[in-house]
Amino acid sequence: VAGFVFGWARHLRRRELRFLGLVALTLALILLYLDAGERQAHQEGRGWRTVDLDALKRRIGAGELSDREADWYRPQTPGANAGGEVE
Amino acid sequence: MNAVACELCPRGCVIPEGGAGDCRIRVNLAGKLRATTYGRPSAIHVDPMEKKPLYHFRPGSPVFSVATAGCNLHCLNCQNWQLSQRGGEEMEQIYRADPAQLVETARREGCQAIAYTYSDPVVFYEYAYDSAELARRHGLSNLFITAAYIRPAPLRRLCGVIDAANVDLKAFDDGFYRRVSSATLQPVLDALVLMREEGLWVEVTNLLIPTLNDDLAMIRRMATWIRDELGAQTPLHFSRFHPQYRMRNLPPTPAATLDRARREAMDSGLDYVYVGNVMGHEGSSTFCPVDGTLLIRRTGFWVTENNLTAEGRCPECDEPIPGVWK
Repeated sequence: VAGFVFGWARHLRRRELRFLGLVALTLALILLYLDAGERQAHQEGRGWRTVDLDALKRRIGAGELSDREADWYRPQTPGANAGGEVE
Repeated sequence: MNAVACELCPRGCVIPEGGAGDCRIRVNLAGKLRATTYGRPSAIHVDPMEKKPLYHFRPGSPVFSVATAGCNLHCLNCQNWQLSQRGGEEMEQIYRADPAQLVETARREGCQAIAYTYSDPVVFYEYAYDSAELARRHGLSNLFITAAYIRPAPLRRLCGVIDAANVDLKAFDDGFYRRVSSATLQPVLDALVLMREEGLWVEVTNLLIPTLNDDLAMIRRMATWIRDELGAQTPLHFSRFHPQYRMRNLPPTPAATLDRARREAMDSGLDYVYVGNVMGHEGSSTFCPVDGTLLIRRTGFWVTENNLTAEGRCPECDEPIPGVWK
């Protein structure tokens, strides 16, 4: 198999080699991008979501959802107060 | 501006004003984090204890089961995705049941226990905690059916009001957790150890998915870890996978795979290993680990024979069977 591959590669022209190199480089970049995304997704502090704020406020106003302050959080802004924080 | 850092689960979401945590239901409104589903469950049922599954906790008794929208895991095979993978504002069905109403309804339905279940109760922590505290004052037990993706401090506080937990240990492999559940393994293991240290009755469930987490070597590592860290008498449930949600490309778990996993876990030193989601399987019954006497026969979610003594012992050899039987 190795002999066949080397024989085939010897007959490749420079233009074809450049094209294959480009394909390999593109695949490597895609893999790096996916890996970076995967790592980022599991980092602490990531992962917040956008929410339909109008719908949420409307349903809180109608009493269908709650605005009860949560426990276990802290403000990121210096000097701000999180009344619901525990411990 | 006015961002907040949620410290409930290992994700530690930093949430800008107007945003929600990864769980979708803890929302930053004007710089304060709000538990938007507090007192607003979207699922309420009376289930048999065996459905949780808790096989060593008051077998056959009815359990008042409650859940709100949201979850901090995003499993590709989620069975409750219509509930767990949505925010409160997306739900069609929302009930109003503050902790007092919840406890009152549970008592009226003749339930001795409330289960915080279906989606992951970690994300409706405040609602579960307040309800559990009140339920305990009224003589009810509290059950936490969870993936245990929670930080130690909130969990320790919660353990003060919870009696038993069934923890869904999805695999004994961090890569699986990352790929399939968008989470990590170590916090779950830490939570299991903490629950045991805090004196909760703990049972573990492992959903076996063909080709993804049914490797016998991994099952042996998991069973050995449970034996060493939680104790050989910790019940382990192997549950059958059914194609769901974003994982419809795999077949249901063959019964033979469940049998092999059960045998492997028992050979690793666990005394009580069960098979779930398979109707009429011998592995869903409880046997005495000393002499093999049939103690509790189950068919589906129903207890059809209970031979335990009133003190929770084997009627033949008097071996004490661990659990909460009264």
